[in-house]
Amino acid sequence: MQVFHTSPWVPPEWIKAHGLEPRGVWLAQDFACEPLPLAAGVCAFANAAVRLAEQQSQSAVIFTTHCDQLRRGFDAVATPPTNLDAPESCRRFPLSPSDSPRCRAVAAGGERAGVRGPSSPAVSGPQCAPKGRGFLSRLFLFNLPVTWQTPVAERIFCDELRRLGQFLIGLGGHAPTTGDLVEIMAQYSEGRRRLLAVAPWCPARAYAEAVARFHLDGSVHLPPEAGDRTASGADSVPLAVVGGPLPQAQLPLLDAIEKAGGRVVLNATEAGERSLWSAPPLGQAQLDLARLARGWLANCVDVFQRPNTRLYDWLRERLTARKVRGIVLWHYVGCDLWRAEAQPMRAAFGLPVLLLDADEAMPQRNTGRLEAFLESLR
Amino acid sequence: MTAPPRKLSLDEWDARYAQLASAGLPEPDYGGPLRRHVLLEGDLRLRRLRFDNSAAALRLWNFLLTENQRLHAARARGEKIIGTMKDLGTVPVMAYSLPGLRAFYPDGAWWTPCLMECSDGLLQQAEQLGIDASFCPVRAMLAAFQNGEHFPRPDALICSTGAVCDDFSAIAQRLEKMGFPIVWWEMPRRRPPDAGETTCALPGNLSAPQVQVDCVREELARLGQVLSGLAGQPLDTDTLARGIREANRVRRLLAALRRAVYTSPGAPLPALELLVAEMLALHFCSDREETIGVLTDLLAEAEARLRQSQFVAAKDAVRVFWVNPVADLRAMNLLEDWGGRVCGSDYMFTHALDLIPEDLPPLEALARTALADPMVGSTLDRARRIVADCRIGRAEAAVVSRIPGASHCAREGAIIRDVVRAELGIPTIELEVPPISDAMLPTLASRLQALLETAKARR
Repeated sequence: MQVFHTSPWVPPEWIKAHGLEPRGVWLAQDFACEPLPLAAGVCAFANAAVRLAEQQSQSAVIFTTHCDQLRRGFDAVATPPTNLDAPESCRRFPLSPSDSPRCRAVAAGGERAGVRGPSSPAVSGPQCAPKGRGFLSRLFLFNLPVTWQTPVAERIFCDELRRLGQFLIGLGGHAPTTGDLVEIMAQYSEGRRRLLAVAPWCPARAYAEAVARFHLDGSVHLPPEAGDRTASGADSVPLAVVGGPLPQAQLPLLDAIEKAGGRVVLNATEAGERSLWSAPPLGQAQLDLARLARGWLANCVDVFQRPNTRLYDWLRERLTARKVRGIVLWHYVGCDLWRAEAQPMRAAFGLPVLLLDADEAMPQRNTGRLEAFLESLR
Repeated sequence: MTAPPRKLSLDEWDARYAQLASAGLPEPDYGGPLRRHVLLEGDLRLRRLRFDNSAAALRLWNFLLTENQRLHAARARGEKIIGTMKDLGTVPVMAYSLPGLRAFYPDGAWWTPCLMECSDGLLQQAEQLGIDASFCPVRAMLAAFQNGEHFPRPDALICSTGAVCDDFSAIAQRLEKMGFPIVWWEMPRRRPPDAGETTCALPGNLSAPQVQVDCVREELARLGQVLSGLAGQPLDTDTLARGIREANRVRRLLAALRRAVYTSPGAPLPALELLVAEMLALHFCSDREETIGVLTDLLAEAEARLRQSQFVAAKDAVRVFWVNPVADLRAMNLLEDWGGRVCGSDYMFTHALDLIPEDLPPLEALARTALADPMVGSTLDRARRIVADCRIGRAEAAVVSRIPGASHCAREGAIIRDVVRAELGIPTIELEVPPISDAMLPTLASRLQALLETAKARR
């Protein structure tokens, strides 16, 4: 079974080790490719995640709590239709006599399949109507802690991994063996290492696609090395693209930057280089979930963290090393977390920052702003 | 001094105040005519509001509008000022348990642009800091910290984070980068217990797994150490238990007041005064003992009016359940002007109205109450409580008031609206109220009046 996840901080190794297929949404087929009707203030990325979840009949979707939009997007997709004709006790989660105990358990819990025990059998589609209990049983909300300096944050992350494991087992997966996990983690680590190694020279679009492909299926497809890229792009302005998710439908942004005379030397969007964490070392003897959680949490570098100093430390090192001359701060409309960072980034790095939003209705405006930004940097 | 209940303009209150003063009205040291807040503090919005004519309401308004002066006075006396942010009702209970600490919510600055009709320039200053109108009006807080013209700079800032609004989280992070250190504490997104997990009952008929309560309790214990350090005295179990009992005194008074006003045939007190009174639960408007006095007076006034069947909103007014606080206080007046009345509310802090359990270890009790925050759980949980409260208040309609730019409003309104409609079958609308709604009056009027007419037609 495919398990889509909406954040790179949900360890795909953990999903894979349970015998299921992790699928980062950024390069998922048709994800965020069509303009969707949006209520005022709704983030288009979160909306696309909701749509993805609604369209899945056989796959599972993991939302994360790291932003209000995704957290409440989960609420929107997980709120079952009400039924005034049903008996009062069943009204919020309409049940029928043929519903399985699991359906009833989900209905009672109202949030996810994890309300059942790990040994329960899997729900099959025909048992539950679309957006009924079977649908709900394939949704999971992963509570990503926002703080990171306390034992409580580590415990929350650890607890979520445990819950996620139970959820995956409920979907038909199996408990991971230490051996499998060690092997899978080594594979992912090697993939990340290879991707990190090519970051300094790989063309922006190809790199973004390679990282997104890695998040999609764990594979690494690198373009052939094309000599000294710095020399070939000597006239272009080295830029960093920093910000939120950049799904495949938005990848033309990278082409537009290059066309306007820029050169993306750092992709620090959600599923870019920033998401390529180093796996924590894992002992062969025993699966120590707390240790794993500590290691994974230690690698999380994102804007939502409080304080978000790790993001700034991570950026500072790379912006300096790659001689970046400007930052494109990419965000979705309604994303307060990134939008608020424009001025602090200017102040922290002493670089010009261009705010660009994923406004599907006005791609031309973004092109014009990019051209003006790069012209001012030459 | 008693007079039949009615709502007065600021001009009318001048005469009413003179009448009360000449009759020997005893007033606290923050008392005085309401107009002085316009003249001295620039609270221009008061000229557009209509107030209840009771002495109890006068005390309430004077209490609310003198908070910054009282905080400055406390600082001058050597008390420590604690800025508590976002948790709405939890950390202040701890702070007020200790002597010499005074907690307040800088978040409350979100009403300053309304009260001062934007003459304060806070929203414009926030925009210069890169926090524009795409953020909720709480961005005024950022500018208030920067210019230092409103509340005193706190000795410590404590902010809950995790399952909170993105606007607030982003703005608080900016604050820290501006040189205001923050103690962050994690509030996990509340979830239902999984099979096999120990379940904890929370106030508000909610539940959460014990593991989440444990996490919150540990975080609160960490904050307790910070507060103890500031107070120079440990926040031990007995001290906190006393603080909880005092907080519950406030909550019991509020519960009685809400019951008296919301469930009565007509409204003995206006919606606007009830909104302000409910806000006192959060941090006691920086004075816990005085809050008890203010609420006691309001409750006595409401009960006296009920005994005499005197109402400020008539018995045939449409009973409306109101969701979310309004950025412009005037909206509450307008609802009543157009034939409605509030019969129940969820101003985003129902957990601050629920009694904190007194039969549990105090930190455990406080952790459970904090986790009952309607904004940290699922929107469905919140909608269910709204439905239950609508039933108690016999609501005929519901209004989900959107806060401009607030990240949670993008999704929650539609879910709440759908659940309320489906469960109760009452007309429900979403509307947005900006800090100054005057320019929106035709839109607000048409939407609210349509709602009220629809509700009336269903009688």
